[in-house]
Amino acid sequence: MTTRRELVARLAAICGAPNVVWRREDLLVYEYDGTIERKQPYAVVFPADASETAAVVRLCNELGMPVTPRGAGTGLSGGSVPTRRGVVIGTSRMRRILEIDPANRIAVVEPGLPNIQLSEAAAAHGLFYAPDPSSQKACTIGGNVAENAGGPHCLALGVTQNHVLGLEVVTAGGDITWLGGRVPDAFGYDLRGAFIGSEGTLGIVTKVVCRLVPLPASVVTLLAIFDTVQEASATVSAIIAAGMIPAAMEMMDRLTLQAAEAGLRCGYPADAGAVLLLELDGLPEVVGPQAASARAECLERGATEVREARSAGERELLWKGRKGAIGALGWIAPNYYILDGVVPRSKLVDVMASVSAISDAHGLQCANVFHAGDGNLHPLILFDERVPGAKDRVLAAGAEIMRACVEAGGSLSGEHGIGYEKQRFMPWLYSETDLEHMGRIRAVFGNEGDFNPCKLLPAGTGCGEMAHQEQALRAAGPDAYV
Amino acid sequence: MASSPWPLPADAPSAADLSRCVHCGLCINACPTFAVTGLEAESPRGRIALARAVDEGVIPLTAAVQSHWDLCLQCRACEAVCPSGVAYGRIIEHVKAQVAAAPAKDAAPRRLRRFLLRNVVARPRVLAAVVAPARWWAGSLPRRALRKSGAKWLPSRLAAMEAQLPRHPGRPLRAGDSLPVPGEASTEAVLFTGCVMGELFGGVHRATASVLARRGVRAIAVEGQGCCGALHAHDGDLAFARDLARRNIDALPGDDPIIVNSAGCGAAMKEYGQLLHADPRYADRAAAFAARVRDFSEFVAALDTPAAGHFPARVAYQDACHLAHAQRIREQPRALLRAIAGCDLVETPGADLCCGAAGIYSLVEPGMSAALRTRKADAFRDSAPDVIVTANPGCQMQYEAAVREAGIDARVMHLAEALDEAERRAPRA
Repeated sequence: MTTRRELVARLAAICGAPNVVWRREDLLVYEYDGTIERKQPYAVVFPADASETAAVVRLCNELGMPVTPRGAGTGLSGGSVPTRRGVVIGTSRMRRILEIDPANRIAVVEPGLPNIQLSEAAAAHGLFYAPDPSSQKACTIGGNVAENAGGPHCLALGVTQNHVLGLEVVTAGGDITWLGGRVPDAFGYDLRGAFIGSEGTLGIVTKVVCRLVPLPASVVTLLAIFDTVQEASATVSAIIAAGMIPAAMEMMDRLTLQAAEAGLRCGYPADAGAVLLLELDGLPEVVGPQAASARAECLERGATEVREARSAGERELLWKGRKGAIGALGWIAPNYYILDGVVPRSKLVDVMASVSAISDAHGLQCANVFHAGDGNLHPLILFDERVPGAKDRVLAAGAEIMRACVEAGGSLSGEHGIGYEKQRFMPWLYSETDLEHMGRIRAVFGNEGDFNPCKLLPAGTGCGEMAHQEQALRAAGPDAYV
Repeated sequence: MASSPWPLPADAPSAADLSRCVHCGLCINACPTFAVTGLEAESPRGRIALARAVDEGVIPLTAAVQSHWDLCLQCRACEAVCPSGVAYGRIIEHVKAQVAAAPAKDAAPRRLRRFLLRNVVARPRVLAAVVAPARWWAGSLPRRALRKSGAKWLPSRLAAMEAQLPRHPGRPLRAGDSLPVPGEASTEAVLFTGCVMGELFGGVHRATASVLARRGVRAIAVEGQGCCGALHAHDGDLAFARDLARRNIDALPGDDPIIVNSAGCGAAMKEYGQLLHADPRYADRAAAFAARVRDFSEFVAALDTPAAGHFPARVAYQDACHLAHAQRIREQPRALLRAIAGCDLVETPGADLCCGAAGIYSLVEPGMSAALRTRKADAFRDSAPDVIVTANPGCQMQYEAAVREAGIDARVMHLAEALDEAERRAPRA
């Protein structure tokens, strides 16, 4: 047994007192991420490097204290919410670019680096880092590794898994080790692959070797405007069937367009039923004809208008709207519950119909933004958490929508991860034996259940009562046992 | 829907404003204090979460909560990147009002500050008397001699203030003073003279009037106008800020445009409608007044006169926060500079990140202010500009100090001064 005072003192001995957060008011701001789950840790600590991180992890293991890694806290599945309290390890002191090697097209960075800063720095060498989550101005490379993050431009280029060659990690057991390296094609078991997308349940990343890719020679960005989501969805399949792989193909529905236009004034048609944001890139000789045929496909399937960005500024504005669209829903409601389901592209139309039927049945408003090219849906259920019972209805509707995705032959997450929110749905897709094998991977990395607990795999008891313990926890002073 | 067990003052942030934040986190890297500390509580999202927790009665307003709010520069960079349109500037002003009603720490300095803001800054004659010795000292021979010797002769906080004084403060220019008149005036405009601006930067006002005069606009420093109230609002003294707003509305009737060359004043005056929306006598007039307010660069760019002037220099333009983030004016000042022959406009890293001046912030939070100034000094050292141009008196003063810190020999100018000097050198044909 240890008191909070002792815990804080021992963390401070490792990382220095200014790098440990422990006051009640200061902990309050570490209870959330981008989702609706909330829980406060006992302490937050910011190590400077791998060895401090390892020392913190070993200390927590010695004390039997749960550990939750955290980047920028922009995650969308509750992955960095300290479900069973304990210690949050933040990466914000590890945010340097250690090296950019243009000849080999790699960069070595620390985990707390905001995603966009890598592409900004690489631009000087004509390169960029492909995974571009909509939160890329804030979210960190380490968090991207944990969630195997995607983004609009992952349609053609692939997700984080395809763009990280190696990792220095502190395992859940407290060891420092390298997985993968500076070159592709590492032999042996692909533990790097196992770690990416492990949602902080196997350890904490302390260095990342990122692949950089050349900036495209030319880019065409189109905005196709439709009266209905159905027409837009059908167009997505048609474009892929025509043999094109656009760099990005994003859809937004009416509600989302209204919010984005209100908040970001990006020139979207606020009265349209849906839009497709299409981007084609590559050599100008190829992109020109492709853009022409994409435009023709759109018009043939009911687009009322297809606009083309005529300058870098216009292109940026179109993307600003898409990347800020989710946050812009704050214009419409104080809270949203964002879902992240994947369905086969051919089922887009059917599943979209189910989504709207389910939200209607629960009397809830639902906005839709999605990476249409990947069949990756993001239904956003809008609500006000201060209305009693609202959150429960939202969670129920969310579960039904996820069920509809799975029944259509899809999956539970395209890029946000399973986190806390969806771990209980895992048995819909995986057998007990499947889940047991996944659980054994945790043991390999030394996670005996306290490292980012209640995430990714279905958890037993002890994780389900998050919201209900708050009152009791607030009473706990510095000398209470933790 | 506040359910706070403790009474909240009338000017506390509204639950509607607070609940607009969906904690997506897209703002955090735009925040200068988050950039320096990496702490969520020093980010806009964290500060709003704390305001909400206090509003909903989850935590009381403790000294720790207050210190996180106090560290906010009110630069509003977060507001400009927020997809949800969270009115952060308004929230933080109301949060400050809440602190002022029941401070958890620093009650005495807070009272003194309020007294000085009300009785010195907002009273032109008192302010003139207080600033006079500083203005004399700023351009004096002993100061130059002491600077050369590098002697450290002042306590650190005073030294920081001293370093901010402009090297060549012009004669003051106050409301009612006469200004350069154009040959053929076709239109008239009000020049807003402000408080410190008129005392320490009279030259900027004269340059503003000259630039306008060459474009056929006669600027008049109408008598009776006074401090805009921005500093008071930022300090949470909304009641007094409303008084000052009413005074300016009464003093400046008509429908001539009101030209403001201080970004902080311009932002505050463009928001008079919002500030006085609950005042039945003034709400409509305040909105009409706000619609007349134009930043200098905004006004001149809109006149769209042919390019003129000659300014052979490497120029680093630094956004004033309340111009770029609050008024969303980024392009016009750059376009005006770019159009001048010889002007080599360079973009320095972090040009739109707060310099740390932030009204009276550099006096209240000297540590964070200095950290941000050092970032600017580093950028200046790397890009070696001849001239640093900005659009707000506080920023100008902070850049004087940053230039010294960087050990480079760059001039710090207001945009109006740069345009005026260029046009004097090569007048329009």
